[in-house]
Amino acid sequence: MSAVTAMISEDEMKAVGARPVPRDEGARLGFRLTLPAQILVLFISAFPLLMQLYISVTDWSPLSGLGWWNAWSLWNNLANYTDLAADPRFWSALKRTAIVMIICVPVEFLLGLALATLFADDFPGKRIFYSVLLMPMMVVPAVAGYMFFMLFQSGGPVNDILSALTGSPVTIAWLSDPTLALIAVMVADIWQWTPLMFLILLAGLVGVPEDQIKAATLLGANPWQRFVTIVLPKMKTIIIIALAIRVIENFKIFDTLYIMTGGGPGVATETISVYIYKLTTQDLIWGYVAAIALAILIVLSIVAVFAMKRMARAREVPA
Amino acid sequence: MSAIHLQNLVKKFGDFTALKTMDLEISDGEFMALLGPSGCGKSTTMNMIAGMEEPTGGKILFGERDMAGVPMGRRGVGFVFQNYAIFTHMTVRQNLAYGPKMRGAAKAEIDRRVGAIAEMLQLTPLLDRKADRLSVNILQRVAIGRSAIMEPAIFLLDEPLSNVDAAFRAVMRTELKQLQRQFRQTMVYVTHDQLEAMTMADRIAVMDHGVLQQVGTPLEVYNDPANVFVARFIGAPGMNLLKGRPAESDRGLVVDLGPLGITPPLPDALAAALRGARGEVLYGFRPEQATLVQNGQGLAMQVTFVERIGARTIVHLGLGEGAVKTVFDNDVGLAIGDTAIVAPAASSVRVFDAATGLAMKAG
Repeated sequence: MSAVTAMISEDEMKAVGARPVPRDEGARLGFRLTLPAQILVLFISAFPLLMQLYISVTDWSPLSGLGWWNAWSLWNNLANYTDLAADPRFWSALKRTAIVMIICVPVEFLLGLALATLFADDFPGKRIFYSVLLMPMMVVPAVAGYMFFMLFQSGGPVNDILSALTGSPVTIAWLSDPTLALIAVMVADIWQWTPLMFLILLAGLVGVPEDQIKAATLLGANPWQRFVTIVLPKMKTIIIIALAIRVIENFKIFDTLYIMTGGGPGVATETISVYIYKLTTQDLIWGYVAAIALAILIVLSIVAVFAMKRMARAREVPA
Repeated sequence: MSAIHLQNLVKKFGDFTALKTMDLEISDGEFMALLGPSGCGKSTTMNMIAGMEEPTGGKILFGERDMAGVPMGRRGVGFVFQNYAIFTHMTVRQNLAYGPKMRGAAKAEIDRRVGAIAEMLQLTPLLDRKADRLSVNILQRVAIGRSAIMEPAIFLLDEPLSNVDAAFRAVMRTELKQLQRQFRQTMVYVTHDQLEAMTMADRIAVMDHGVLQQVGTPLEVYNDPANVFVARFIGAPGMNLLKGRPAESDRGLVVDLGPLGITPPLPDALAAALRGARGEVLYGFRPEQATLVQNGQGLAMQVTFVERIGARTIVHLGLGEGAVKTVFDNDVGLAIGDTAIVAPAASSVRVFDAATGLAMKAG
């Protein structure tokens, strides 16, 4: 404490204390106080971004024998970006990622909302179910991936259950069929991330003013009418947050999926992240990887900005 | 319109008894205030009338109809919440139209009813405003309109003025009373503020600790409190109560207050009621109904505090159990340390049994 105090000069002490602080003087002190944090942010966010931007306009590769800072000698005039636009594997990976997102996020949302509605009321054993329900979220994704890899083997539990239900032996090769593999991967994602959706939506649901729900009941609204006219509109902000988080996260789907299928069979489950990973570790064309990553960052930023704007607008209206 | 009958109503929450037993008749078109300190069971009673809570025992009848098992949406009850519970994500129009819409009324019908109620409550120019930025008195009108549009037989109001600042409360009280005259519905009004109950209610039901203490018109409750609780609770400051024993004197029956001396003689009716009593009694009089008198004609007490409240002055006299408050005009000329000799107006004196707390009356 004393060391810190000593570092602040007498002038600054006065500035903080009695004397009315002129505007620029206060700003200067503020700048100095936040400088360490700003430097940190610079190194963890701005620096890598600039580095990425720099590499993305070159043909640099770790095999090129140059330090990355010397990549300017491999300058290629935005060729990476024109390649990207014409790369069918990139576009199909992007399409696949979008399909996974369009199916997984709504399913997670609806399941999460249904569970949250259920948990908003009391029922016996609620606490136990609550803990059980949150467990998938705490499983390390790599472990979850391995778990689902085992479950979906042709001699695995999923087929065993189907056999028991249908009465005849089922031996579906889930992870070797292009369509079924994609379904299996989505099942794993839904299993792991519905709890997060549930948790966020439950928080929103609990925050809906109870007397407004009572007022609606007294005015003769049935439970479904109450849900549509009162609960959903009041949860708008939190729904936007939950969807934004999952859209962004789901777009980057990788670990569970990679362990289950490695992007296969063929490229049937190759999402953007898997494609980038393969280009990075197998093809080693880092300039191109940087270009792809930057393009995706821009797309996701647009989603984030859109969501934040909606949130800011919703927040102007107090609940 | 509908009368409300509460018969042996009991409510328990686990081990806690919120309402011990309640019998109350609220007649058709009456404005009844449920008045009491927090935790007295008034809100519980109201919630049971609305159907938000199930009684543990007893009956609630609307007219002839037993309400047991009738869900809150089907009781025909309008409810105005403490904070109005306006749907803030809707416009005023949507708020007003909510009830009819949920019951599937036709659009033209809804428009007609919303128009009529808005006209009545002077909300027409505000119909398309978002409900989240309205002032409290407008919120109150929207809340009332939203319930009134359903033409409920009964209106329940749960401390609707408690979030409003003091100056505005007077305006809202008048407005509310006028609205009640307009709608002519049976109204039950829960409050802990006696001024609200006094000014608006036809009758007041005073409650404490889950027990109904007294039901009567505002003046009955003020003038003839049924027991010590009501005497202390109603009035600001409440009734002065001094412990003593009845005693005969040459001027008639008096109360011997021990160290404070004896009171002026009791009026004949009270004296008759007290004559047989042997135990301790509480001698009560209203702070507003005491006057300064000559030595020997009243109670001599030392002034301990002088509280100026603007229009009048509250003078605190005596200490401990023998402390009383009196309200005088501002020019009373008493200062701390002075000795004041006060005598209550004979007609305002009330006597309570010290053991039971009940008022002692002739007959």
